[in-house]
Amino acid sequence: MTDHGTARRPDHLSAVPAPPTDVGDLLRAVARGDEAAFTKLYDLVAPRVYGLIRRVLRDPAQAEEVAQEVLVEVWRTAARFDAARGSATAWVFTIAHRRAVDRVRSEQSAADRTLKVGAASVDTPYDEVADEVSGRLERQQVRRCMDDLTELQRQAVTLAYYQGHSYREVAELLNAPLPTVKTRMRDGLIRLRDCLGVEVTA
Amino acid sequence: MTPTDVHSLVGAYVLDAVDDLERAAFERHVGECPSCRTELDELRETSARMADSTWSVPPPQLKSSVMAAVGRTRQLPPPETIKPERKLRGSRTQRWTLAAAAAVVLAAGTGTTVFAIQDQRVRDQSAIASAAELRQERIQSILASPDLVVRTSPMRGGGKVTVASSATRNASVVALGADSAPQSDQAFQLWSLRGDTATDAGVLAAGEGSAVQVVDGLPGNDGLGVTLEPAGGSKVPTAPLFAKVSLT
Repeated sequence: MTDHGTARRPDHLSAVPAPPTDVGDLLRAVARGDEAAFTKLYDLVAPRVYGLIRRVLRDPAQAEEVAQEVLVEVWRTAARFDAARGSATAWVFTIAHRRAVDRVRSEQSAADRTLKVGAASVDTPYDEVADEVSGRLERQQVRRCMDDLTELQRQAVTLAYYQGHSYREVAELLNAPLPTVKTRMRDGLIRLRDCLGVEVTA
Repeated sequence: MTPTDVHSLVGAYVLDAVDDLERAAFERHVGECPSCRTELDELRETSARMADSTWSVPPPQLKSSVMAAVGRTRQLPPPETIKPERKLRGSRTQRWTLAAAAAVVLAAGTGTTVFAIQDQRVRDQSAIASAAELRQERIQSILASPDLVVRTSPMRGGGKVTVASSATRNASVVALGADSAPQSDQAFQLWSLRGDTATDAGVLAAGEGSAVQVVDGLPGNDGLGVTLEPAGGSKVPTAPLFAKVSLT
């Protein structure tokens, strides 16, 4: 919200102090048991939490269930958020992604999944994966930066993040050696970090 | 795994593309390498930005369900009240204790159980520090073996058992995480399976649904079985098998 917008707001509305809309501030209030702050936090992060989980799990019903777990977990563990180690939104999405991936992994034993992935790898159209990912990238910056990655970096990162594949599965899907995939995930994220200008100041 | 090998997992780690044991190994590594932590934090921040593009309208009932659950969910206290900063002998011990707690937590899976375990572990940290340190060293030396073979099997009733075996160390690290813990008068028991013979390989504490145990002499057997027994364990396994991890 810009100062300009605030200044133009009618008096009878601006008489009430504007609530904090920064996710970090809200999370700190939530840590003190502030349910009203949690409601605001919900509105800010729930669409991305639900969207991310749904992207990974594919199944809307399961996504709803896991999203609920994640959001309650955010409430429960808010006091554990450490601003020195990253942003509040990253903290929330880290919980969400981890839970989504845990659900994927618990759905199928590792062996089943590897077999399935192995069988599917023959005809999985990777372009489709890439298209789907970039097609839905609403944030121009992330999209632009993803385009800067090499093909293998981008595939390694997106197959893991958006589809919940382990790096072993990614290696099989891409028919690439395990150490290469590990390295591409790291290189890819480093390049993305530099492009996005991500910094964590302790 | 050498520190370099472990550190090369940083990308896979922030993408949640590692298994439970690799995650535990990586977190131990980062605990001892402050500069690695900066890279970890930055890459985690970066990966989270990828969630920006996943915006999707949640079902309307989600908010009311979440708010209802929040109303009956007790919050964790700030970490200051549980951080074991002062009582321990030295920073090394602190790290091991936290790493041990983390390993248990990570191996166990996620959710309420996990945090309950972590809290309890950290509360009891003085008492378990020495034991945890020894055990953790043991676990780490096995997990660091070049010939490590990792096998996983789902558990009856939900959850999973992971067995990481090193033939050269003639030992395995068994991580058991059941979705539901046994009754307080029952316990999970581990068995080395060879042919038709099952040999006791350790009993978990009564009512304990998750644990990380070292089982000596397990490599070379056909598999590891898990049964539910009366507290304290049994001489022979009681059917049914709750999990069977094949090692052949």
